[in-house]
Amino acid sequence: MNYEEDIDIASEVDLVVSAYPVQDDGLDEELLAADQTSQQYQEVQIPEVVKNFIVFFHRNVVENNVYELHQIYEHSFNKLTEKFYAKESWPEPEAISPLVNDDQVFLTLYRELYYRHIYSRLTPMIEHRFHSYENYCDLFNYILNSEGPVALELPNQWLWDIIDEFIYQFQSFCNYRNRIKNKTEEELAFLRDNSQIWSCYSVLNVLYSLIQKSRITEQLLVSKNGGDMQEAAGEYGSRPLYKMLGYFSIVGLLRVHCLLGDFTLALKMMDNIELNKKQALFARVTACHVTTYYYVGFAYMMMRRYADAIKAFSHILTFINRTKQYHTRSYQHDQINKKGDQMYALLTLCVTLCPTRLDENIHSQLREKYAEQSNKLSKPEEAMQVFEELFLFACPKFISPNGPNLDDPEVMNLTPFEPVQHYTKIFLSEVQHSILLPTLRSYLKLYTTMGNAKLASFLEIDPEQLRTLLMMSKIRSRQMKWVSGTLLEGEYQGTSDLDFCMKEDMIHISESKVGRRYGDWFLRNINKFQDILGGLELTTKA
Amino acid sequence: MARVSNTPASRPEVIQSLIDGVDRYNPDNVSILEEYLATQCTNKECDTMANLAILKLYQFNTHLINDQVVNNILVKALTTLPEPDFNLCLYLLNEQLVTEEPVVRLIALQDLLEQARYADFWTAYEGDDIYKELTAEVLGFEESIRTNIANAVAMTFQSIELESLQRYVHLKGQALSDFIKAQGWTEASGVVAIPVNKDNEAKTTVLTENIKFEQLTKIIGHSNDA
Repeated sequence: MNYEEDIDIASEVDLVVSAYPVQDDGLDEELLAADQTSQQYQEVQIPEVVKNFIVFFHRNVVENNVYELHQIYEHSFNKLTEKFYAKESWPEPEAISPLVNDDQVFLTLYRELYYRHIYSRLTPMIEHRFHSYENYCDLFNYILNSEGPVALELPNQWLWDIIDEFIYQFQSFCNYRNRIKNKTEEELAFLRDNSQIWSCYSVLNVLYSLIQKSRITEQLLVSKNGGDMQEAAGEYGSRPLYKMLGYFSIVGLLRVHCLLGDFTLALKMMDNIELNKKQALFARVTACHVTTYYYVGFAYMMMRRYADAIKAFSHILTFINRTKQYHTRSYQHDQINKKGDQMYALLTLCVTLCPTRLDENIHSQLREKYAEQSNKLSKPEEAMQVFEELFLFACPKFISPNGPNLDDPEVMNLTPFEPVQHYTKIFLSEVQHSILLPTLRSYLKLYTTMGNAKLASFLEIDPEQLRTLLMMSKIRSRQMKWVSGTLLEGEYQGTSDLDFCMKEDMIHISESKVGRRYGDWFLRNINKFQDILGGLELTTKA
Repeated sequence: MARVSNTPASRPEVIQSLIDGVDRYNPDNVSILEEYLATQCTNKECDTMANLAILKLYQFNTHLINDQVVNNILVKALTTLPEPDFNLCLYLLNEQLVTEEPVVRLIALQDLLEQARYADFWTAYEGDDIYKELTAEVLGFEESIRTNIANAVAMTFQSIELESLQRYVHLKGQALSDFIKAQGWTEASGVVAIPVNKDNEAKTTVLTENIKFEQLTKIIGHSNDA
């Protein structure tokens, strides 16, 4: 669960790894030797309380005690991390192996936590990246390719974190691989010889296999259209472990496709998930809930469906506000808040591109966080810089699927492809056209009719330029908007409260107004009368 | 009717199942999708989902990249503006492709169309033979662009000077008169009248709140208790 990318870390990794005197293909052995020395070191170091914890942990995994595992996973593990392992890794898996009778399944699960802890607290080195990948392969192999469904049961939160972390490490690896400058020959050789490790195809393969094995698509269709759930789920999918992993893999694919810049395909992954349904499965794990809406909103934004993006962001931000007191204690509190801040930033961009009346609470939060940026976005001379700043702050860490061609002898001299820069550039070239629109809008709001030439002189632009601006603004004010069906479906609708038409050179402007709201007034007065009645009854009794 | 943008009326079944399943990642299927693109180029339809699937395969398997196919997909996407298709394609191309010829040329055209600078678009388009070469394989390219421009004009104007319209759609004399007639517009003494439609009427509306009876059940129930 670490969304930070470690840009400066690459060079440190290089330093440490290059300290090993490595032969051409002897890297693994060297690393193994290094592992063993640290293992002996660790063995002496394991505190008694941690040993007891691991034994207890192991027993509950074997007994499938999900309730206890929930406690262990969310509380005990993090508490012990704070106490003993805030600055160093947990004991090597080999060192704890005797404590758990060399139980390979438990050791795989333990390694999952072990490497995740290294990624989030320390600096993952190249061997960590590779071994963690291998460990995920072991884990998924065990789940997918054992004879029949495995009996293992894990808390939903952990299952989500497995998928989430798997994708995070994939993304982290892609960015690491992209920075080939100041990598040693050995590292480059290692990357060259192991191109299948953390490859796009292998990651997609895992996610799709989990979806297929769990028959989650069939299950979702049954829950939508009715039918026999047992039959749809089958032997594997009726077990919570498979069902949830399958479901989380769908959200995982939404994320992976966003990272790869395929926003249409990302939303297509969600075809069978009904976002508006109460009690949807994604809401069972808060981190999954937040992730789902972040990527759905982001994909909509990139497809210029700003109204839909605004709706998605507003929905989840309201949820985060309402449940604040519950997740302050959670270990994911910081992550959720960070995602929240990013979504407020994206919301600021969307509202600039598609002026919309927001929910009052969301609006006031937005003003609190981004008032200054919001104002700058409506000024043509400052807008572009703020667009870039907020986009860079809030966008996902895009990845390049292939990495540099290491067989090309020239590769070291090429500037590495920076996916985030690439996507930002395309996005900015798109919004650049809109920077005059807020000014235009503010003028249009003042008049009901106005000559084109006159308005052009106010804006200090050429009359012909104003006409094209008006046409563009008209086109931009009509958007595809979701009404029903899958996320990709929609209808063209006007999204602006300000509309206009042109009769030759004359602009006729109309503004839709919000009528008086009676509901609120009546509600308040009904309450008032009830109070008065109550008071009267009391006085008559007295 | 809710719909997914740019889905042709009839998408062949083989394409549909390709797009929906994991087969879309199989490099062997790229030729099926490329042939489908070729069909789109001649029958004037556009299936963006299918074309994005080609670019996806190119993204993962760079050795498959066929420059002419990329070019045709982008030209097709130009004909669907103001839909976001063009940029959605760019997001799938690598930096090198996006910064080199011919893609930069097409981006230049997109830039003008996106800004509704239609007169400038035609000047650029006519000003260099390269554009006709790039768009040659997409049948009816100019016609599609012109239809989209007519849509933008009809959204914005109730009446427009003939002289402006002529520059936007880049037609003259009889061709222009025919075009105006085909749109259902009428011309009189140098001004073209466009019938009122839902986009160019600019009607002032008042949004009123809509409270459903179900929302009141709690309050009514409460008043019974009292």
